[in-house]
Amino acid sequence: MNERAFIAAIIAFAVAVAGGLTAAWGYWNGRTDHVLGVGLAVALGGIGFGLVSWAKYLDLDEHVVQQREPLQTTPAERQDFAEEVEMTSATVGRRRVLTTLFAGSMGALVVGFVGPIGSLGPKPRGELNRTGWGPGTRLVTTEGEPIPADEGPFDQLATVFPEGEVGRDDSQVVLLRMSPDVLSGRTIEGGSIDGWVAYSKICTHAGCSVGLFGIDNRPPEVVRQLVCPCHQSAFDPTDSARPVGGPAPRSLPQLALDVDADGFLVARGDFDRPVGPITWDQA
Amino acid sequence: MPRGLVERYVDSVAGRTGGGTWLTKNLRKVFPSHFSFLWGELALYSFVVLVATGTYLTFFFEGSQEQVIYDGSYAPLRGEEVSAAYESVMRLSYEVKGGLFIRQMHHWAALIFVAAIALHMARVFFTGAFRRPRDLNWYVGVTLLVLALGAGFTGYSLPDDLLSGTGLRITNAIILSIPLVGERLAFLVFGGEWPGTDIIGRLYPVHILLIPLLIFGLLGLHLALVWRQKHTQFPGPGRTEQNVVGERVWPSFAMKSIGLMFLTAGVIAAMGAVFEINPVWLYGPYDSGAATSLAQPDWYIGFLEGSLRLMPPWETRIGGFVINNIFYAGVLVAGVIFGGLYAVPVIERWLTGDDREHHLLDRPRDAPYRTAFGVASITGMTILFVGGAQDLVARTFDMSVGHVTSILQISFLVAPPVAFYVTVKTCRALSERPGPERTERRVPVERAADGGYGVPYDDTDIDWMLEGGAAPGHFDEITEHAAVRGPHRGASTPRPTSDGEHDDSAAVDAGAEAES
Repeated sequence: MNERAFIAAIIAFAVAVAGGLTAAWGYWNGRTDHVLGVGLAVALGGIGFGLVSWAKYLDLDEHVVQQREPLQTTPAERQDFAEEVEMTSATVGRRRVLTTLFAGSMGALVVGFVGPIGSLGPKPRGELNRTGWGPGTRLVTTEGEPIPADEGPFDQLATVFPEGEVGRDDSQVVLLRMSPDVLSGRTIEGGSIDGWVAYSKICTHAGCSVGLFGIDNRPPEVVRQLVCPCHQSAFDPTDSARPVGGPAPRSLPQLALDVDADGFLVARGDFDRPVGPITWDQA
Repeated sequence: MPRGLVERYVDSVAGRTGGGTWLTKNLRKVFPSHFSFLWGELALYSFVVLVATGTYLTFFFEGSQEQVIYDGSYAPLRGEEVSAAYESVMRLSYEVKGGLFIRQMHHWAALIFVAAIALHMARVFFTGAFRRPRDLNWYVGVTLLVLALGAGFTGYSLPDDLLSGTGLRITNAIILSIPLVGERLAFLVFGGEWPGTDIIGRLYPVHILLIPLLIFGLLGLHLALVWRQKHTQFPGPGRTEQNVVGERVWPSFAMKSIGLMFLTAGVIAAMGAVFEINPVWLYGPYDSGAATSLAQPDWYIGFLEGSLRLMPPWETRIGGFVINNIFYAGVLVAGVIFGGLYAVPVIERWLTGDDREHHLLDRPRDAPYRTAFGVASITGMTILFVGGAQDLVARTFDMSVGHVTSILQISFLVAPPVAFYVTVKTCRALSERPGPERTERRVPVERAADGGYGVPYDDTDIDWMLEGGAAPGHFDEITEHAAVRGPHRGASTPRPTSDGEHDDSAAVDAGAEAES
């Protein structure tokens, strides 16, 4: 008999008792941050250690041989089963009309349940191709403030929504003001105004919010990038937000901008392309 | 007292169920022991912890996306509009005494659960334990892994914090990318266009009822099959394809195993008490316009995250339709990995033409191609995993994310074949060189009272020790010496047979015969 294991088991179980009591003390004294948890951990660990030590103390170190039973089926058993199958086809399978109708009715039952499963979600009816933007819709900040077109810092990212629909997921837009001479021709054609550009904030890769804007002033040239933090897709905001790195296959759709009579930024209309990751029929 | 126990069991249970010697027989069931057989038990016991802690959490969690104003004790969020789900997790973490501890235990247990399954599966793969007749149980096991990942992902998503919300957003995009049915399917799952108001309420019953129920059922089947088919064993003295050599379930094996259960729970409890995990108050509630950088999912989703990040920006056009690259990265890669896991026994059977029963395990080096395939697969998965944190890698090594991505993309294509080649070579070299267990033959020597040395065994014992066979009298049935491939370190030096063990093992064999 292993005396050291015996002593180890005694100590372990004693420590477990102390651990359980510590946990209870911790709870009643409002020490649920660590004392409760550590106490319970010690109690559990002590019991575990105690049991393993106990098993070691028994010191059986057995080498017992047990024969495996054959798992393979004997020919006689196989024959038995074959007879069972034959009997079934001779009795249950005798009336083809019944088996066929039974199978048919089970199939119909499944078909009948398709409806309720379909109720889990509506059929897509072009929602993915529409957003909250329309002609003349004001761009507002998350606080609902409209954006005056003649003021605003350069090279700072803002997240804007259509007025009245702040927080609408498919309509989130990144708004940037850059010096107009850094913008490419097609960016200006796409609807920038006075250096303001707006793109859908939903990454064309997997739909995360393109929340990072970085500017690298190191010579030879200034590089501006919009980056999606999820999978590191990068887009060039000066050139139609075309993808310049990472897994995103398409540029971010651009929101054409205008200025309304009160001098605030508005959209000229909805995006000309679906926002977010491309689906099967959005080619 | 023992006498009373016998009478009570026999009269009240066995005598009413026709149980007879069922319990006796099973208490004497023999289990071989080896450290690598422990991972499956670890998975089982972390699942026990998951069920216990998870049940507690359900008493507090609210599976609803209804917007409420937070007014709990975490000051920075007070007055913010959050979902009821998020609010309930905050309340559980801050107001419920001991709630945070149980929640953290649950999360740590989930991470350990999947890790233990992965290790267990690696053990089964590398030792060839998935071969007939256990191919059946391999399929059950792979399904359990898939369910464990499903349980992990749905649970991770429930708190409706910014990180998990972003994860769901990506899931939505991946479903949308499925050709033909993607849009309809995404609308079915999410109850309409993203984000909708249904998904948390739907994931909740899936997480606490549907998946656990399936895990319970399949776990029962998994264990029943192990019990029925009996455990595999490494080759060693007296071990053949026809027997199991080890210790009986009761008392030693059971005691150690239950001890392991408490140790597992104890370690998880310590982690839950000391190490912070998933601090949802720092992430904040889900907000569709926001996203955070340097965000990684739980480790077991890392390979998919990496696959999404490393897949080049390819779009495939077919007629007027298009397949987004996240379909390849998300659906196809996962399909290949899990399809491949399911196919392992079939592929091995097809390549080797071996459909025989195997109860003795291979050492990894003895099956170089299988081992190499496993190592290559793990290499590929590791690169995907690292890819899932490529921004962290770039930051740590002060490189550009683009460069890290390119390096990983190339490694993903190059490293697995290299790993395959190196592993085959290593296995060959190892199996050509005799291992220590093939050269060492330890015979205990005793110093006698007169100062001389002697061997405290009789000649027959020494013979078998030198030959690496089985001790006469120690094992009951040595019918096929040819089947013994040589001793293994796992089979420790047997002791003289005078301690009455012999009688016990005879009893066990009698039990086995009664069973058949």
